[in-house]
Amino acid sequence: MLADLHLIAPLTVPGLALGGVYALAATGLVLIYRVSGVLNFAHGAVAMFATFIAYQVSIVEGLPAVAGLVAALVAGALIGFIIEYFTIRPLTGRPALTKVAITIGWLLVLQTGAGLIWGDTNYHLPVEVAPTNGFNIPIVNVIVGFDQLTIFLVAIGLSLGVAAVLKYTTLGASMRAVADDPASARLWGINVNRVTAASWMIGSAMAAVAGVLITPLINFNTYSLTLIVIYAFTPALIGRLISLPWTLVGAIALGLAQQWPTAFTSNGGINEVAAFVLVLIALVVIYRPGVGGARLRLRAA
Amino acid sequence: MISAARLRRSLVLVGIAAAVVLPARLSAFDQDQAALAAITGILVISVVLLSGYVGQISFCQFSFAAIGAFTTGALVDGHGWNFWLAMPVGVVAAAGVGVLVGIPALRLTGLLLAVLTVAVALFFDNFVLATNTWPAFSGGSTQWHPHKPSLLGQQLTGEYSFYLFTLVVLLLVVALVWNLRTGKVGRVLRAVRDSELAAGTMGLNVTAWKLAAFGLSAAIAGLAGCLIAVANESVSAGSFDFLHSVQIIAIATVWGVGSLAAAGLGGIFFVYGPELLSKTPLSAKWFPLLVGAALVVQLVYTPEGIVAKTQADIAHLLHRRTRVPVADTSMVEAA
Repeated sequence: MLADLHLIAPLTVPGLALGGVYALAATGLVLIYRVSGVLNFAHGAVAMFATFIAYQVSIVEGLPAVAGLVAALVAGALIGFIIEYFTIRPLTGRPALTKVAITIGWLLVLQTGAGLIWGDTNYHLPVEVAPTNGFNIPIVNVIVGFDQLTIFLVAIGLSLGVAAVLKYTTLGASMRAVADDPASARLWGINVNRVTAASWMIGSAMAAVAGVLITPLINFNTYSLTLIVIYAFTPALIGRLISLPWTLVGAIALGLAQQWPTAFTSNGGINEVAAFVLVLIALVVIYRPGVGGARLRLRAA
Repeated sequence: MISAARLRRSLVLVGIAAAVVLPARLSAFDQDQAALAAITGILVISVVLLSGYVGQISFCQFSFAAIGAFTTGALVDGHGWNFWLAMPVGVVAAAGVGVLVGIPALRLTGLLLAVLTVAVALFFDNFVLATNTWPAFSGGSTQWHPHKPSLLGQQLTGEYSFYLFTLVVLLLVVALVWNLRTGKVGRVLRAVRDSELAAGTMGLNVTAWKLAAFGLSAAIAGLAGCLIAVANESVSAGSFDFLHSVQIIAIATVWGVGSLAAAGLGGIFFVYGPELLSKTPLSAKWFPLLVGAALVVQLVYTPEGIVAKTQADIAHLLHRRTRVPVADTSMVEAA
């Protein structure tokens, strides 16, 4: 067992990259939840579908990877807009459960649709936004791939960027106002519909980027990609679906928690154990009644 | 004069009679499918109980079913147990896990529990049921093949007799849940669903009721799993995964989580929908997509579900017809 400890350092690199991707997807999830009050179970499927658009553009059509990334970004935003505009907005004032059920419907539509379009084959070439060669960090003797570094930096950068937008721009202020109280926000002259649509577009686009960035790290198909992004619920819960910094911390923790144990076991299911334990910790330890209890309640609006 | 209640009673009786008689004429393959439809109906009821009565979404109903199925497989095929002994073990195990999953409900409100059930479903799919994690339970690389049981000296190996058996189980479960709904338990659960806060104020132990509902729902799903194991006479992890759970929620919601009639229709739909599709230019693979689309469209237009909507329409029709000639207030109230 101790002999495997030397694997920890090399496993930290993909762990951090994975964590970055989770951070990106989870930030999108929190954004959508806070502004529109909908826990989006289709988040993973949106990311997967947009990523396969990138696959279509970059691998099948042979255009540069960056073109694929942009296509995925646009596709993600578009899908987010369609979901919000046509199926969430008409349900304003209905119970939260109904809106969640809508996202379950979209999960099935996007999941099955992607399977029909791109087939059920298990292996796809990744969309490599950055070169896969790397450099060696001397003292610990760990090789860092440029792709892994790019994933980490882009993901963290985008997450922080969205946090900055929320904090410093007018759109961000409107989003926070709508998140706190849509009715008062409307009275203050904020176009609640437009802000809500923007949150779905930005959130879904972030999921799309997360999906594309993760492709070089995993063997992906239409199902596994959806599941990967579903893990983003874990850091979102660790951030109590409110706090972006804690979401970021949770994402990195999840990425590492999924990579490190692979040094000790060959059972691929260990990923699930890590995610499961973190979800339990988040739900049982972090969601203590009385600690900001009122704010944790799901909004019915 | 037909009252809505009497109409419903006769419809139910006609429905049961049709369910008993009609499949006798079907081919062996279709009788097998009919048995699967009845079993799926049981699963739909487990969703109805949780979503319709308590207002919780569970993404791991097929994981509960898997506990029943793999327990049956391991005990019957692996250890040579009698099915009738293995089945209660499977049901109790599923109920136990259901309560365990529900325990964080002690702290959670609303849909956060749903997130936990996603984690549970993925945990089962990729870890518990993975071939190398726990071969004594999952069967490892060889699948379990439990045989169909016998009942009162009668082997249930014939397609029609097995179908009748599943139908009886389905009706028993329907009767159980129906009784819960019309009795005190039903009123409590609906109070919890509509407002946990208000229910708590009324002195109800919301957490305990939610936990009990979770346990019962898991037990019913586990029962369905035990039946699936012997219906197929094989148990494979692939047929109990997360996406199946998502589909069963979608189907239950489309037909209406407030209604038990949804269960029968939902079961038939789940089994025969893909069959029908394979006879059209589309293939059976399109089924989940159409279910998802139906779910979205239906929630936007008739959020109460197709069955409940139709019931309301019929009640409305009867109401109009009876109200005009008889200016009797009791009639208006009844309708």
